[in-house]
Amino acid sequence: MTGAPAAIDGVVVPPMPPLPAPAVDPAVTPDSARKSEASVPSDGGAVQTSSADAENVAPASVDVDTADATSVGTSSPAEPRAEVEETDVATGVAVVDRVEAAPVDVAHDEVLPVEEAQGSADDQAVVDPDSALVAPDVAPGPAVVVDADVPALRVRGVTKSFGDTRAVDGIDLTVPAGTFYGLVGPNGAGKTTTLSMIAGLLQPDRGEISVNGVDAGSRPRDAKRLMGVLPDRLRTFDRLTGRQLLYYCGVLRGLDSAVVESRAADLARAFDLADALGRPVSDYSAGMTKKVMLAGAMIHSPRLLVLDEPFEAVDPVSSSVILEILSAYVAHGGTVILSSHGMDLVERVCSRVAVIVAGQVLAEGTVDDVRGELTLEQRFIELAGGLSDVEGLEWLHTFSG
Amino acid sequence: MAAHILRLRATLLVGALRGDPSHVVRTVVVFVLLALATGAGCWGLLTLRSAPTEVAFVVTVLAGSALTAGFVAAPLIAGAVDPLDPRRFVLFDVRPASLASLLALAGLMSVPILGLVALGVCLVIVWTAHEVPWVASAVGVVLGVVTCGLLARVCMALVAMFLRGRRSRELTGLFILAILVVVVPVGLFLASLQWGGRVPSQLAQAADILADTPLGAAWALPARVAAGDASAWLSLVVAVASVALLGAAWAWIVQRVLTSTERPESGRERSGLGWFAVAPGNAGGAVAARSLVYWLRDPRYLMNLLIVPIAALLAMVPLLIAGVPFAYVVLVPVPIVALFFGWLPHNDLAYDSTAVWLHIASGTRGVADRLGRIVPMLLIGLPVLAVCIPLAISLHGRWALLPAMVGVCASLFLGGLGLSSISSAVAPYAVSRPGESPFQQPERVGSSAPITQAVVLLGAIVVAAPSLWWAWLAMSHDISYAALGMWGGIAIGLAVLLVGVAVGSLAFERRGGRLMEFAESG
Repeated sequence: MTGAPAAIDGVVVPPMPPLPAPAVDPAVTPDSARKSEASVPSDGGAVQTSSADAENVAPASVDVDTADATSVGTSSPAEPRAEVEETDVATGVAVVDRVEAAPVDVAHDEVLPVEEAQGSADDQAVVDPDSALVAPDVAPGPAVVVDADVPALRVRGVTKSFGDTRAVDGIDLTVPAGTFYGLVGPNGAGKTTTLSMIAGLLQPDRGEISVNGVDAGSRPRDAKRLMGVLPDRLRTFDRLTGRQLLYYCGVLRGLDSAVVESRAADLARAFDLADALGRPVSDYSAGMTKKVMLAGAMIHSPRLLVLDEPFEAVDPVSSSVILEILSAYVAHGGTVILSSHGMDLVERVCSRVAVIVAGQVLAEGTVDDVRGELTLEQRFIELAGGLSDVEGLEWLHTFSG
Repeated sequence: MAAHILRLRATLLVGALRGDPSHVVRTVVVFVLLALATGAGCWGLLTLRSAPTEVAFVVTVLAGSALTAGFVAAPLIAGAVDPLDPRRFVLFDVRPASLASLLALAGLMSVPILGLVALGVCLVIVWTAHEVPWVASAVGVVLGVVTCGLLARVCMALVAMFLRGRRSRELTGLFILAILVVVVPVGLFLASLQWGGRVPSQLAQAADILADTPLGAAWALPARVAAGDASAWLSLVVAVASVALLGAAWAWIVQRVLTSTERPESGRERSGLGWFAVAPGNAGGAVAARSLVYWLRDPRYLMNLLIVPIAALLAMVPLLIAGVPFAYVVLVPVPIVALFFGWLPHNDLAYDSTAVWLHIASGTRGVADRLGRIVPMLLIGLPVLAVCIPLAISLHGRWALLPAMVGVCASLFLGGLGLSSISSAVAPYAVSRPGESPFQQPERVGSSAPITQAVVLLGAIVVAAPSLWWAWLAMSHDISYAALGMWGGIAIGLAVLLVGVAVGSLAFERRGGRLMEFAESG
């Protein structure tokens, strides 16, 4: 953490062991509580976002001013906010940032009434269908419609076979906007294949995927534009330096080169990569590679982040930093779908979770719904077929020498 | 004010000799070399005193034009920072017009200009020996020196205006490449000319043309006075007009620099982007920059490049053994080089391995991907061909065949690139993975590898068949086919390239999912 900016140090270091807890709490707890009351589960995430904002930010106008997809959350402590403003200055002033400037106006018009309605309705936890409007429309596509009824991600009956093996077998998922969605499952269950299809890297054999209402089958480019992707076990262009790689990601996404440069600098600071940017990515450790790729996935401020095993090989300090950034992103209306083997982490961070076994969704819902009386890990093992008694390894117990 | 600026200039000149020892040594070495070159030039010029007037005309005009062009090129290549950049005087209360003239005057106080003045004095001596009134020669030399001084000033200012922040090793390399592409063929052509005691007509023609352009007009003035025809007036008018125009441009630049502020855009983080800073900031440019980094750094690509000249030279051996005359055999390697350069990127996408996900997930346009991937090949192939084609032709000995050769190479190279654009998106096959030895074979090559290779190679030859036929006709029957061969070959090559990029783009966009499956299975 030596090179990290004070903002992140300030947040992460003092409340020591359960690192992500302070940032995540407001996002998760009210949501899960409300989820049991709310009759329409798909709207829960959106409600949680706006109400969290309304609780924490007294004057509604403040929220509007900071409405920027790249910004860090209002629900987190004050420190990251300072960093947000820096980000805004860097991108908004030095550059004519068409992408962000136009939609914020839209949000300005629509947010105020919603904020008021939300503020009064918050105690009763009424599901307001318009609440997703609070999420500022900052995706760089003209055709994006923001509507609470439109989930950030909708997967219907998606199937994928490789040869004779059916890796994914009719999966349905609905990820409401503004949720932290976890995908768990044993090895080889089809998580990576599912995420690859969502990201548009693989073509499903059957089924439909739509991202924020955009059908990925018929408008793949529009759908891809809304997503940031962090694949697992795929290479990256590692002969480039970190700075070049970030620049490459941004420019491929169609950003202006000046915007890319300033955002790359911001992201490098946030992910504590600033010292490493001049080195080739092939010299990075696994965790640093993951961080630089995650930064590359976020550089165009996507609406949906598709992250495959984002915390694998990442040290605890870095992963808490990443969680911090992701939580803030979700609190501002962004959506994250991630796969992980860390049940603790999923339980702590995600508001909804799906358990995939053998290419099928065995359980889906809020974390509380899925785990019931058990811990998520126990429930997961149960769903995955339980611990079979290990037989045939008796020789292992008769030591040879 | 004038005295101040001139004194500043003199101090700066002396100041170049201060600083850390390595810098001083380098400066001194450059000075000494420059002085030696000037001395050699002066001696060479003075030998022209007894030469025929026509020879003196051709030599002085060509050399003068080359020097003038050098004053344009040097600021571009060296990226020298003008110590008298007008922007540094923004804060002083100087009128732009007077500042412009003062700086132009101070700019004449530089080491290269001093060398030029020395050469100019020799020029006056030479033409006096040819019975040209010294005033005419002196006017020509003064105009020439002023033109050079202003050119250097204007070019440095333009570099500062447009290339600031983009200046890098890569860009310098590109400029040097561009100059090589021009200089080497010209040099080869000059070297191949038959002097035999008198000036070859082509050179006289070239000198005549240059004498009417701003590059050579001032230097040609005394010679044309010696010839005694009216063209001396034309040279004088051109030379004076170019000094006036350059002066106006310089004044405008100073005016503009003094009344505008720099955009701070390209400040802090610009460095460290390498080729990315040189390439245009769009997806195609980024892909091109990324490809270039890989072509120049990844041993797998370098291996492919190394094989090309070896294959081309080896192809000569059996022909020579079979007794084909050397003059014809020497024409064989260059088209082979062109063919292989066009063929090399036919499996480019596979070299990315799974990293290609980035292009697919970001929805990169097929055109950007396809074009970006062939840019390195163009950057490597075009200069190599520009040098090799004249070399082969000069060894062959018949310059009239040059156009036909250009046509053959263009259609092989461009056509091959077009077909490669299709094949690398449609039928990639496994190669050794990034970081592995280029000699290591992939575990699973698949049966498609030899088919793809052969189809692209033979396809490029088929595409080039018409231009090969025209070249054959030009060589064996009628040399007038050479021109047809050139334009026809270039047109066919470009057409195939365009179609190939279009088809390849479509294939890349349509087949994203299958490309990923291929990459992951490899």
